[in-house]
Amino acid sequence: MSETTITADAVQEQSFIAKAKEFVFTIPVNKVSIKDLVDFEKTPRNNFIAVLTLAFIAMFVVGVAIYLSQGHHAYNVTREHPWGLLIAVYIFFVVSSTGLCIVGSLGDVFGFKDYELIAKRAIFGSIVTILAGFAVIAFEIGHPVTMMIYNVLSPGLTSAIWWMGTLYGIYLTFMIIEFVFLLKNDMKMAKIFGLSGLLVGLAAHSNLGSVFGFLNARPISNGVFYPTYFILTAFITGIFIAFIIMGIRYKNVFPEAVKTMLTGLAKIQALLISILIFFVTWKMLTDIYGGMPNRADVALHILGSWTFWAEVILAMVIPLIVILKDFGKSHVLLVWVSLAGMVGIFFMRYNLVHDTQLKPLQMMKIREYQLAPEWIHYFPSATEIMISLGGVGLCIAMYYVGTKVFNLDADH
Amino acid sequence: MARYGMALDYKNCINCKACEVACKEENGVLLGADKHRIWVGANDVDGEWPLLDIVSATFMPSQCQHCDDAPCQSVCPTNATYYDENSVVRVDPDKCILCSYCMNACPYDARYVDDRTMTVDKCNFCSDTRVARGETTTACQNTCPTKVRTFGDLDDPESEISELLRTREHFSLKAHLGTKPKLYYLT
Repeated sequence: MSETTITADAVQEQSFIAKAKEFVFTIPVNKVSIKDLVDFEKTPRNNFIAVLTLAFIAMFVVGVAIYLSQGHHAYNVTREHPWGLLIAVYIFFVVSSTGLCIVGSLGDVFGFKDYELIAKRAIFGSIVTILAGFAVIAFEIGHPVTMMIYNVLSPGLTSAIWWMGTLYGIYLTFMIIEFVFLLKNDMKMAKIFGLSGLLVGLAAHSNLGSVFGFLNARPISNGVFYPTYFILTAFITGIFIAFIIMGIRYKNVFPEAVKTMLTGLAKIQALLISILIFFVTWKMLTDIYGGMPNRADVALHILGSWTFWAEVILAMVIPLIVILKDFGKSHVLLVWVSLAGMVGIFFMRYNLVHDTQLKPLQMMKIREYQLAPEWIHYFPSATEIMISLGGVGLCIAMYYVGTKVFNLDADH
Repeated sequence: MARYGMALDYKNCINCKACEVACKEENGVLLGADKHRIWVGANDVDGEWPLLDIVSATFMPSQCQHCDDAPCQSVCPTNATYYDENSVVRVDPDKCILCSYCMNACPYDARYVDDRTMTVDKCNFCSDTRVARGETTTACQNTCPTKVRTFGDLDDPESEISELLRTREHFSLKAHLGTKPKLYYLT
């Protein structure tokens, strides 16, 4: 009797393995050789992007080599400013990922037909951006292998970083499964995993906001603002990237269906940016009002920094004006504005990380001949800049390979 | 099983920095201005001549506050920061991943990176040096020429620190944050 059961189990197991194999081998992919990868239209623009991407990847390799030989000494992070550019760039990438996930979900989860044609590209984009983010953070976390072991063996359940990291891991898994079902044109399963991925992604992302929001010692960041603001800015970032990837795909000559979609996205973007401006204005006003120490002074300092205004002008004011000019019909201009918008979004992330640490927590002189501590100064080191640009290079390279290997257009 | 804390008669401090040196020597803390477990903060004289506020020129010895509700412990993703059996907040270097979240979350700037292990380090009340050898004082207390520091068991009603806290007014740093520090400044 038991032998029969074992045999039946073995048969069942074998058939499961066979089914899994069949599932994997039937994922529609294009066979691509190295020759195919270098086979692109040799326009000046394409050549420039190719050289830039290779240069960024080379910088990544050099940056990582310096980091591996010198450790955190290769970075300009200090006791008072322990989080630097790499944390900002990690946030930049994961915000992009969450944003693309939201944009991709408009079509395949929520069923808005106009947006279905970007679903595959957006979901694939969300996978490559989060992978680029992980590539960058791996060289900021001092002991990434230890992290993987002890995140499981002794999880810190009160830690926002633990939740953020764990949820992002699950999110990536869901995104990959959703993408596979999208490739197989199994929209029902894609919807299930898309919705799961979206919910986990939003949870992960607001947890990332709470990493800053939970800092009771830092009144400028402490509170509910960042966990909600992160979701809003993720959506905005997703729309900026959607414009960029569609601009590249169609070389700025858009078919009618794409134009309809882009106009729709632009209108959503105008609403989101308006809400963002509203959020940021009130955050600044409540920070300054009453002159509360460690909050009002920091907010005023932020208002005096050019990086804050770079964020406001590039990611908020210019896109909003361009969209409102003709309600999102200047698609080509919006592609360029979105590119500038992403620069603004980068500053937004950089400011978030830097501004949190602006005010020293220990305000007394602790050394002879020292001036009393004032503001914490930080400028990223060459290694930090190289690894960060390398992340961008990896992201572009992975996306490019994806466009060759997978059919990312909706009509396939 | 004790609940260790420290009382600081900070107005007696003369900023000789012997405590900083003793701490580095006893606990093998690396040289370098940023590598310190404890420090003495100095306040400049406030005000402008002739309205100088002479009493504002104080020295404030400080270190990890060994909070009962330590933000650094709550934010640690791998529980590398933990409370030992004596309620001392400590770091297990084997579990520390150097995400630096604790350095950002500690309201007292009490943490730094130990370059040998590339993990976060902090004051542990000499738990693996003097206290492990059975001594009843920390290095900083032992060396202090003006007897600023008193280390001991807060749960022991007979201890010197309990006596001090019963009889002297005292305050804690950034008490409004609810971290419940176990460093008490005597006034």
